[in-house]
Amino acid sequence: MASTTRPTLLPGDEIPSSLIPSHPTKPLRLGPGLRHLPPSQILPTVSGQLITLPQKSSMWIEYNSSRYIPTQSDLVIGTILRSGPDFYYVLLSPFTPPATLPHLAFEGATKKTRPQLNPGSLVYARVTLANKHMDPEVECVSATTGKADGLGPLTNGGMVFDVSLGFARRLLMAKSKEEGKIEVLELLGGEEGKLSFETAVGRNGKVWIGSEDIKTVVIVGRALKETDEKKLGVEAQRKLVRKLIKEMK
Amino acid sequence: MTATSEPEAALGVLPRADGSAKYSHAGYTVTAAVNGPIEAQRKDENPYEAHVDVIVRPAAGVGGTRERHLESILQSSLSHIILIKNFPRSLIQIVLQVEDSPENDYVNTKLVQGNLNFAIMPALFQTAVLALLSAGVPMRATATATAVAVVFHDGVKRTVVDPSPREIEIARSVHVLAFTSHDELLLAESEGDFIVKEWDEVYETAKKICCHSAPADDGMQMALDEEAAAGPDMRHFLRSTMESKVAADLYWK
Repeated sequence: MASTTRPTLLPGDEIPSSLIPSHPTKPLRLGPGLRHLPPSQILPTVSGQLITLPQKSSMWIEYNSSRYIPTQSDLVIGTILRSGPDFYYVLLSPFTPPATLPHLAFEGATKKTRPQLNPGSLVYARVTLANKHMDPEVECVSATTGKADGLGPLTNGGMVFDVSLGFARRLLMAKSKEEGKIEVLELLGGEEGKLSFETAVGRNGKVWIGSEDIKTVVIVGRALKETDEKKLGVEAQRKLVRKLIKEMK
Repeated sequence: MTATSEPEAALGVLPRADGSAKYSHAGYTVTAAVNGPIEAQRKDENPYEAHVDVIVRPAAGVGGTRERHLESILQSSLSHIILIKNFPRSLIQIVLQVEDSPENDYVNTKLVQGNLNFAIMPALFQTAVLALLSAGVPMRATATATAVAVVFHDGVKRTVVDPSPREIEIARSVHVLAFTSHDELLLAESEGDFIVKEWDEVYETAKKICCHSAPADDGMQMALDEEAAAGPDMRHFLRSTMESKVAADLYWK
């Protein structure tokens, strides 16, 4: 077990020191699922596969779960709960304290012109503050450039689908087809399906599908949910897409 | 007669819960659901750590004093392995539903209030740990538990692992022990008359079951394994269960 490069670890297991990346200049970066016990002990806190990137001097535990724990600079999809004097209260996952979204944290927003969001509307936002002692904070604008960069209210028809956190992470990968092994979106939008739709993926296990056509929204959402729940491989995804397209016609 | 069945477990059986597990061993079947960290009620809110809420539901009827006692024991030992300091002001809820328990052919099975059933504790504890692992709740370590009874039969003393209801009936003392994956004693509850020497024997037996690490391939280990065949190898069971879960989750890797 210790001999493989990607061992499966349980909480509290010892990490073989040969696997811990040691880079001459870059400091070691710990990702999700690991904790550092001073002075030099690193222990996993969840069960999953240990992934190490010696070039980047980083390591993390790859695992799947369904409860989102806010982390800084994650992209999330939130539901507006209510509006306060200066903030919107946004729900990132059920039964957790709401995150705050300042009224002015939108592109081009001023006191007089700001988006009016009703309870229940959706926003695509970035987590700016994630601290265990405070409620999380999100924003829909980049604080440095003042640009929205695709963030903001999710409007013009669409629907949110719940997926597992691991699946959302795969969808968010830069190469979700090669690394995440997810092809459904390309297939549905490409030659196979010729559907036109837009998506927004939240790290909190939510996928928003927007389209003029309601049928398209449902088909894409179902394809994603089924791929996640039934753990479909690339070949099975192709089969599923063919089946769904046939059903639609 | 000990129920010598190997432990069995299934993870993620409840799709709506954050994590869930179904575990059966020694005649007991328990299903657990874990939700958390979620927002705690005002009265349960602790500014420094998460509140761990354990709810035990019996197979029939509603829980009483007995279940409350089991809950308090489980709550305090589970709080030790969950990283509760990471989630202040939140709640981690663990619901344990007993589905099946072995019947006692010898005595009336009417539930007696205040009479603690120790034999069910390892099943409850193990299910809770499996469900926590399935939910991905950050933990310090994993843990395994077992029940051991000291029985005097025809003047001969025997230690029985995973005792049946009949054996508990005639046992002089019953003990429940749990160990973390760092071989630390996490839970030790005893009932009945016993002397320190007996407890030491019970401790050694339980430790062998809970902390026996995965079998190696060389002949020496094999001989030892046969010796330790008195009970199941809980740690190996936990690891293989989790390894198959992780492998299923990361099928795309």
